[in-house]
Amino acid sequence: MFNILKSTALGLGAAALLTTTAMADGHGGPYAPYADTTLIVNFPAHPHYDAVMRILPEFTKETGIEVEVDQLPYLKMRERQTLELAQDEGEYDLIAYVVFSKADYVYADQLENLAKYFMNPKLADPSYDADDLIDGYVYNIGFAGGGKGYLEGKTGSLFGIPYGSETSILGYRKDIFEKHGLEVPETYEQMLDLACKIPELEPGMGGVASRAASGHHASHAFLLHLAPLGGRVFDDEWNPIVNNAAGVKAANALKKIVDCGPEGATNFGFGEALGSFLNGDTAMFLDTTVVAGQINDPDKSKVVGKVDWALHPMGTRRGSQTGGFGIGIPANAENKEAAFLLMQWLTSKTGDKMVALAGGNPSRFSTHADADVNAKFPHMATFGEALKHADPDWRPIIPVWGKINADLGTTLSKVLTEGLDIQEALDGVAERTKAVMTEAGYYTWN
Amino acid sequence: MRPALANRLTPYMFLAPAAVIMAIALLYPLGYMIWGSFRDWSPSQTIGEAEFVGFKNYITLWNDPNFRESLGVTLKFAFFVVTFEMIIGVGLALLLDRDLRGMSLLRTLFILPMMIAPVVVGLMWRYMYHPTVGTYNRLLDWLGLPTVDWLGQHALMSIIIADIWQWTPFIFILSLAALQSLPRSALEAARIDGATGWQQIIHIKLPLMMPVLIVTALLRLIDAFKVLEVILVMTEGGPGLSTEILALRISRTATEFRELGVAAAMSNYLLILLLGLTVAMFAFNRLQEIRAARVRAAVEEDE
Amino acid sequence: MSQSNTRQNPAFYALIAVLVIMAIGPVLLMFVNSFKLDVDIISGTSGLLFLPTIQNYEKALCDVLWYEPSHVEFCSLKFGGAFINSLIIALVSTVLTLIIGCMAAYALVRFRFMGRDTVSMSTLMVRMVPPAVLLVPVFGLWNNEFCLDKEGLIGGFIRDTMGGRGDVCLAGTHSGIILIYVAMNLPFVIWILQSFIVQIPRSLEEAARVDGAGPFQVFFKVVLPLIKPGLAAAAIFTFRIAWNEYLLASALSDRDTKTVPILIVNNMSEFNVEWGVIMATGMLLAIPPIIFTLFASRQIITGMTAGAVKG
Repeated sequence: MFNILKSTALGLGAAALLTTTAMADGHGGPYAPYADTTLIVNFPAHPHYDAVMRILPEFTKETGIEVEVDQLPYLKMRERQTLELAQDEGEYDLIAYVVFSKADYVYADQLENLAKYFMNPKLADPSYDADDLIDGYVYNIGFAGGGKGYLEGKTGSLFGIPYGSETSILGYRKDIFEKHGLEVPETYEQMLDLACKIPELEPGMGGVASRAASGHHASHAFLLHLAPLGGRVFDDEWNPIVNNAAGVKAANALKKIVDCGPEGATNFGFGEALGSFLNGDTAMFLDTTVVAGQINDPDKSKVVGKVDWALHPMGTRRGSQTGGFGIGIPANAENKEAAFLLMQWLTSKTGDKMVALAGGNPSRFSTHADADVNAKFPHMATFGEALKHADPDWRPIIPVWGKINADLGTTLSKVLTEGLDIQEALDGVAERTKAVMTEAGYYTWN
Repeated sequence: MRPALANRLTPYMFLAPAAVIMAIALLYPLGYMIWGSFRDWSPSQTIGEAEFVGFKNYITLWNDPNFRESLGVTLKFAFFVVTFEMIIGVGLALLLDRDLRGMSLLRTLFILPMMIAPVVVGLMWRYMYHPTVGTYNRLLDWLGLPTVDWLGQHALMSIIIADIWQWTPFIFILSLAALQSLPRSALEAARIDGATGWQQIIHIKLPLMMPVLIVTALLRLIDAFKVLEVILVMTEGGPGLSTEILALRISRTATEFRELGVAAAMSNYLLILLLGLTVAMFAFNRLQEIRAARVRAAVEEDE
Repeated sequence: MSQSNTRQNPAFYALIAVLVIMAIGPVLLMFVNSFKLDVDIISGTSGLLFLPTIQNYEKALCDVLWYEPSHVEFCSLKFGGAFINSLIIALVSTVLTLIIGCMAAYALVRFRFMGRDTVSMSTLMVRMVPPAVLLVPVFGLWNNEFCLDKEGLIGGFIRDTMGGRGDVCLAGTHSGIILIYVAMNLPFVIWILQSFIVQIPRSLEEAARVDGAGPFQVFFKVVLPLIKPGLAAAAIFTFRIAWNEYLLASALSDRDTKTVPILIVNNMSEFNVEWGVIMATGMLLAIPPIIFTLFASRQIITGMTAGAVKG
């Protein structure tokens, strides 16, 4: 039965050999010892990583290290990684992980602690300037073991580097706002008012495009409103408080947005929500900064040049999301050091600028301030401003989050489509969450 | 003696490959699943490392409103799908059972939906149901009618329609085959007696087709519990749990919630349900045969 | 047959026309859309007034094209590779299922050591098992149990020659996916072929045996040629399942053994629903079944009716 094994493996080996001979005398310096390696990396199908695909050939040219990318949709990617990371020897040398996987992977000891690489003078680039990395992203995505286990804190350390990270931002149609003399919303109240006013002013147009589909999408949209409206999923003792006044307010906001949204909004995933904004079906879009690159792409968008950006509106506080991806080295990887070199190259000042220019999301302050990047993407300054309000604790990143997230998402979807009472729905979520947390041992010390 | 021995072994040699493959790739996995359903098992563990928890997974599921809702959706889906497909399929067969020049071409076109990958069927319908750019809403819009939120408010109905599109031809072709193998004499006799078309259908055709129809319906019913890809591509089970049939929930529990034990227990519930159906189908078949035998015996006695 | 003499009424033809449109309309729609740009699909400037483009197909097939289409920035889809995987998996599992199933069916009919009832019974039992039920055990077994130690003799040999890392497991190989497809399809194939083998007159085989043919020769030289129609029907059904299946393949394949359905589902990624390319890949996946349907509909219908009516 084994006679039809992967034949590509052979081909790859041959390709690697060829590069060895070609590169052997071409490169000295830190990359030379690894010039004959082929790294296998696992990236999500995501606009940022599409931009990364464009700059990877540059890395190979510079270092002689080949990179083979396995690109998967991000939920699929997580499934694949769950399996790969559990093996004794895994296939991937470098992985991009969704921010909420951080807890699982670190907890199961599947990601390399980066300390030993940054300590190694042969590997660590002295001009890396780690302080330039955006603090909120680093703590949210790369850091583990600090406050609450997933936040900044003295006991924590670094397991990954944010890459393809994002925050939330409000996109709006300049033309529509000008036409009706509307003010760009500063607060939640203004935004919700506008959201429902727009369908009246512009028949057939929805207010805000938001994701709302069952599961992760609905949950994400809800959490997006929860933090600025002053809510949290847990209090400091890990008691679920999604069902308090702020939680209800956030769910109401979501419901209002969806009700006044474009047609079919209750079943929108991220793609549909973005699609409706790109198609000119909605006047506003409140979600991640990732989309910026597509807005002005005439192949995909009908609103080229008509969109401007503003900060995520304020509720009782400013609190835009932090999310996206980080990259880390699996504990069972084969070429860890070369993988570190790739990781360092990608997140270095030059790498970050390159990927930003290719349409990706920069993770450094300097890139947001960079003149070339700003000239090409004028919105970068607003995005940099939004980052100052990024809230690393808008979503708890604990190992059992996946299950709570799924429950929250399906329940909220019921609120949106089946008219389930909001308070009742959130009470149910809180109760089930409490049970999950009890089982996971979060109340052992109480 | 050697040839005799060889002869005795021949059937086993013919059967061995099939038996071995079925054993390692069907029976063993099923046993493995039953074993796993008693464990608290995550995908990063091997089954040996997983903790034994007795019937906990089964009890949790039984009390889990989401599981029950999903079960309800599955039953609803199966019921409506089979009912409508039977009515439409048999109806069409009765209507089209005549000598038509292009009949074989027609049949060919009708089987097309069944042969295409469920994944592709799902994506075609997802496009056609799209709230703004989809075919149906555009058509409704063009006719000046209000548009429908197909995969939102009416998701279950929409997936049922898609399944009817894909599988009615199956019923149609089987009923047509059954119709065309009916004894001519009975139909002739009825026509001579002056029975109208309706009377023929109700009193002669349908009763005679009944055994085949029931087997067909049960086959379709069993298959209705297997539908997964079409729904996965169209709605991913949403909105809420409104289209999350059990097969889909099993796969989500295993991959997204990472609870293999619970997924295994759920698989077992589904298997038990289907086992019940299959046994019912078999019992019915047997009953039918016995009845037929009795009728035959009675006829012979009469002679 | 019943009303062949009566005149067909126009409404009847209208009904047939509607049915035909309903049956093939969606497929045609997909075909047309696969030649449109995304902007044209989304914007809804309706119907047939558009400039056909093969961009979507170029993008889908970028890894096997001999030239680099100017609009493709980097080739992410790797459809060609997936198509080859699908072909290997579907063809090999069809051939294996047919050979093994045929032998088993022959033994069951001719040597009568299990009643036909028992066989139909177990066939039905297996038929009722949904692929989703197999997901968990197959995932666990193929990844963790059905493995060869990489230090061992055969495992070590495979790792040395093929490369790769870790123990050699069935998961992630073509063989792993083929195995489960063969097992899933065998009962159905045995069932169908039985009903054909039963019809072969015994005397033919006995004549051959008198001429000195052994049991295997009888089987290959006498029986097989006589059940060709049955084989064709069984082959189409097996191929169809192996070609179209998504769930188990997605649990078992890795980046080198992805099949086309997986690629299509993956490509419906949420960030960027590229309808044009998706429709093009869907169309490419649908082509082999469409060809079968057009050229072998008789066998398909035989297979379907043999499976249900005679069962």
